[in-house]
Amino acid sequence: MDDERVVAGLHCGEVLADLTEYVEGWLGQDRSQRLGEHLRGCEGCRRLLHDLGLVIRAVRALPEQPLAPDVEARLQTSLNPEDAPPLG
Amino acid sequence: MVDPDDPRISDETLLRRFTAGDAAAFDRLVKRHQSAVYRYARAVLPDGADAEEVLRDAFQAARRAAGRFRDEPSARSWLLSFARNAARQRHPRDREADTTPLRDLARAAGWNSPNGAASPPVDARSLEAALEALAPEDREALILREREKLGPDEASRVTGLTNAAVRARLHRARLRLVAKLREGEADGR
Repeated sequence: MDDERVVAGLHCGEVLADLTEYVEGWLGQDRSQRLGEHLRGCEGCRRLLHDLGLVIRAVRALPEQPLAPDVEARLQTSLNPEDAPPLG
Repeated sequence: MVDPDDPRISDETLLRRFTAGDAAAFDRLVKRHQSAVYRYARAVLPDGADAEEVLRDAFQAARRAAGRFRDEPSARSWLLSFARNAARQRHPRDREADTTPLRDLARAAGWNSPNGAASPPVDARSLEAALEALAPEDREALILREREKLGPDEASRVTGLTNAAVRARLHRARLRLVAKLREGEADGR
């Protein structure tokens, strides 16, 4: 691809493969530093990193849905049948 | 007397207390994790109606296996592994190799877009629609990391995938989610 290039000694394709590892802090220090240098000099990769971060934060911020009371009650009954209310 | 509702009591302690004869300790463990197990079941099953059965089966199986709980990354990943097994029993799926080139996924997500695309929409409605549009495998990877905050070892315990495969799948799922959000925006959702 013409729009891919080498910045800070790393090709865009290599950076693409490691972006989740970079975001999560799962890369070694040297590798992480090199990616950081590439990202500072490459707008295309930097934009994708930004969008990934944006979406990750948004998914993590979605409100927690507590278990519906009726589902919870049926689960409790299945685990503790002796606690079930009498029929009728 | 130790209060079983005390959040300072670890899951591991609750399991030990349960196996020593304290039935209420397992109930407390259920309350801690029931929403997560249900959320996971809803994420991986094509039909949400099955999720409640998976929830029930997972905790019943965990209760039977409580005496064998040891050397696990966490109680939550251990519990979710029962949910995964229960979901697979209802909807067996062959694990298909994900052969889409990473570059194709990334371009759909806007990587190196010639037009300098704006960022995708991330309001709750758009996110829910995009998550819904993903394959169950991608939703599973995202739920385990972004919602349940499981590390690769824990997600590996749930899914049976290698640590490296868990990380690779998470990356692909994230790219697909960004792409779906862009598609949704283009479709006017």
